Amino acid sequence: MAPMSMAAYSRAPLAPMPPGYPGVGGPPPFGQPPGKERKKRRFPIWARVAVSLFLLLLVVVGGLGGYYYFNLATPVSHIVGQQVTGLKGDEDPNASRNGADILSGSRVNILLLGSDTDQKFPNGQYLAQSDIVITIDPATRKVGMLSIPRDFYINVPGGGMRKLDEAYGLGGVALSRLTIFQDFGIPINYYAWVGLDGFIKVIDTVGGVDVDALHPITDDNYPDDVGNKTGDINAYKRLYISPGPQHLSGPEALEYVRSRHADLVGDFGRSARQQQVLSALKTKLNNPAIIGKLPEISNDLNGYVKTDMQLTDVLKLLNFARSLDPNSIQRLILGPPYSASGVTPTGESVVYPDCTKITPLLAQMFGLGNNARCNIQANSNNNTSSLASASQPSATPKAIPVASTWQAASQVADISAMSIGGSSDNLLGFHSLLDLMFMVVFESPDAMQV
Amino acid sequence: MKSYNTTTIGKSLLLLLLALSVQGCLGIGNNNSSNGPVGNTITTNSSGNKVSVAQNLFKGKIYFTIDHNLWVTDGSSASRELIHGGNVYDPAVSPDGKWIAFIARFKDFTNLAVIPAGGGPLHILLSGNGHFYNDTGVIKNTYYWFAQPAWSLDGTHLLFLSDLQKDFVWYTLGGAFKSSPFLDLQVFSIPFNNPSAQPQAIAYASYGDGGDRDPSYRPAHPQTPEIVYTHYAYDQTGTQQVIQVFLADATAIANHPYTYSPVSDSGVPLTPGSVQNIEPAFSPDGNTIVYVRRDTSNQMSLYVMPVPEGVTADPNSPTVEQKALQPYNKSSHILSGQYVSQPVWSPDGKQVVYVSYNNSEFDLWLANINYNAKTGAYSLQGNPIQLTSGGIDGDSRPFWTP
Repeated sequence: MAPMSMAAYSRAPLAPMPPGYPGVGGPPPFGQPPGKERKKRRFPIWARVAVSLFLLLLVVVGGLGGYYYFNLATPVSHIVGQQVTGLKGDEDPNASRNGADILSGSRVNILLLGSDTDQKFPNGQYLAQSDIVITIDPATRKVGMLSIPRDFYINVPGGGMRKLDEAYGLGGVALSRLTIFQDFGIPINYYAWVGLDGFIKVIDTVGGVDVDALHPITDDNYPDDVGNKTGDINAYKRLYISPGPQHLSGPEALEYVRSRHADLVGDFGRSARQQQVLSALKTKLNNPAIIGKLPEISNDLNGYVKTDMQLTDVLKLLNFARSLDPNSIQRLILGPPYSASGVTPTGESVVYPDCTKITPLLAQMFGLGNNARCNIQANSNNNTSSLASASQPSATPKAIPVASTWQAASQVADISAMSIGGSSDNLLGFHSLLDLMFMVVFESPDAMQV
Repeated sequence: MKSYNTTTIGKSLLLLLLALSVQGCLGIGNNNSSNGPVGNTITTNSSGNKVSVAQNLFKGKIYFTIDHNLWVTDGSSASRELIHGGNVYDPAVSPDGKWIAFIARFKDFTNLAVIPAGGGPLHILLSGNGHFYNDTGVIKNTYYWFAQPAWSLDGTHLLFLSDLQKDFVWYTLGGAFKSSPFLDLQVFSIPFNNPSAQPQAIAYASYGDGGDRDPSYRPAHPQTPEIVYTHYAYDQTGTQQVIQVFLADATAIANHPYTYSPVSDSGVPLTPGSVQNIEPAFSPDGNTIVYVRRDTSNQMSLYVMPVPEGVTADPNSPTVEQKALQPYNKSSHILSGQYVSQPVWSPDGKQVVYVSYNNSEFDLWLANINYNAKTGAYSLQGNPIQLTSGGIDGDSRPFWTP
């Protein structure tokens, strides 16, 4: 390469030097004392280092923020805002709410569905092991919780007389929602569905939990619905959890909190165990080191938690749940005396509702008045149109995602801003989603009280 | 003399601040993350932590489990793994040191098994294997649990916990006893040389709260074979747990048929029902018990108390019950900590090994025990000493032999 000539540096012809410059005639330049060199104006070194550090911090935090946004916002967009197309015969109870806030306007009913989600369902045609309807009257702040046994033998629209848990397997959220509306008259405003494997994954991701088991847990009829590869969806397993301090893996923690037969005091004892596991889990989740695992935890939730609520709705709902006195919640479990075990003509073990006892209770709890009903007979016009209009069963609820990643990111930002202003433990809204999961897994808003 | 101007000092300070910031970001110097190793590394546990054992702190051998593989550590030499992959619980060495009894756990049942202490084939004494079946619409099964074997003083019998009577219907007791299976584990024994013999009930459980735990024979008192155990029950309202340490005549049920039942137990409480006391372990002379008291949800304490004499012959007499509770008032507090549990005396009665929880790990710790002959009180001598680091099983249930 030829050496560069001076002309190459020239962009324009040199202007004549003004007078007063060295070697040029005229007075010295203004403001420059004669004989003194001009000192360069500089920030003090500490200021420059501080600014550099600040900029470095800004880049690092921005980078991390961007990384987490795009790692977390995508899973969040698959969790919240998952609208489900209504089936024929269903109505949209939100239409009359005119877009009101979840905790304002008229009564809100939320259907909580919990499913085992493992390999024994080869086509992903899960059942709903728990069917709970939470009802909130924003005007009075009264909350009710209705637990419907999974073996309730009722009319599933388009499916005939079946167990309630099969409604989910046949038509997902949409058919579960329609079944509860048509059979009991309870309109469902929102739903939240949780796959139990998600809870197990979260516990395992944080390395398990360490608890002091309060007493021996024995259960000879625990549902064998996690990690069961036999294909028997009604299988049982036996539990014996020894008392005392110990480490629990994800499946063990689920067994510890789910067993209903381990206490004379039933749900009270179960609630105490749930509080223990939640407390241990939240201690781990509140550890700053967990930030590095947030993408992993978000993936644990992805596919195992679905709701048509928005992230901000979830946050409001759970904050409301935290403010409740657990003793003020009206709880109704439709076990005996509101139902009785029996066998169908085909030899299937089921639970028969006692409608004369149930209907007035539903009317009172849900403010249904004359709309409360209890249809436990297959309708003569029970054709398969409802079922047919539901899309094919899938591994996850049949949902139409309306929240894009950007929308989810925006909600994450909103939640984070709210967290900074209020409770700082709700990093990127994730504790809200975890709490929603706990509420469904533990089948109780009490999970929020820890 | 060399002088430093303010710019140099400022730069140094800024560099120092920067270094501290980076250190903080990276978590360097954070000693809360894990315990430091206390001795020789023996294995890596399922959490990825290296497990180490301190040497020359005790005499004899201590058996424990890591990821439910059986390990033994010798006070003077190395540690070694005795059983790998067996899902081992509750090791117990025979008095002659020749056999190790333990529990092998499976999904729906457990086996009570032994292996020669010097190595050799495994022998299953009792198998809990079975199957589920449909009994006119009700799902039942033929599986059983066995847990926590403990040897008799002469090594001829083994105590253990089991739900062997789950299908036995106590018609005379009515209520839940008549309508539901009795799943709570109770104390039984079998002859070691004839494990297929009919197991003998030694102590009954209270219905519905999980049953008994931690049974062991009282050493050095062969004239009256007694056992100590934790008894889980509910109060009369059925709403509050009552967890107490019980003492019982090991021959009472066998020698007095139809006298005792789950509502009229052969055991007498040594601790009051108002406080939850668990996991008793006899001292080698059989005169004291170390036990665990639940203070708060995760804080627990070790205590030592004397054993009352002559209280097991008539355990349901109110006078005897009061007498049996007297020594509890002489309990000596030894130490407290998070999840302090499963204490075991050393063969010379001068130390106690126990499990404690620190930095998210369960590990073995040693407490040197001091006895004041004048006051009759026990106390901790010095500070507790960490025996393992890296994390063993929280339900390891250590066993100490000479």
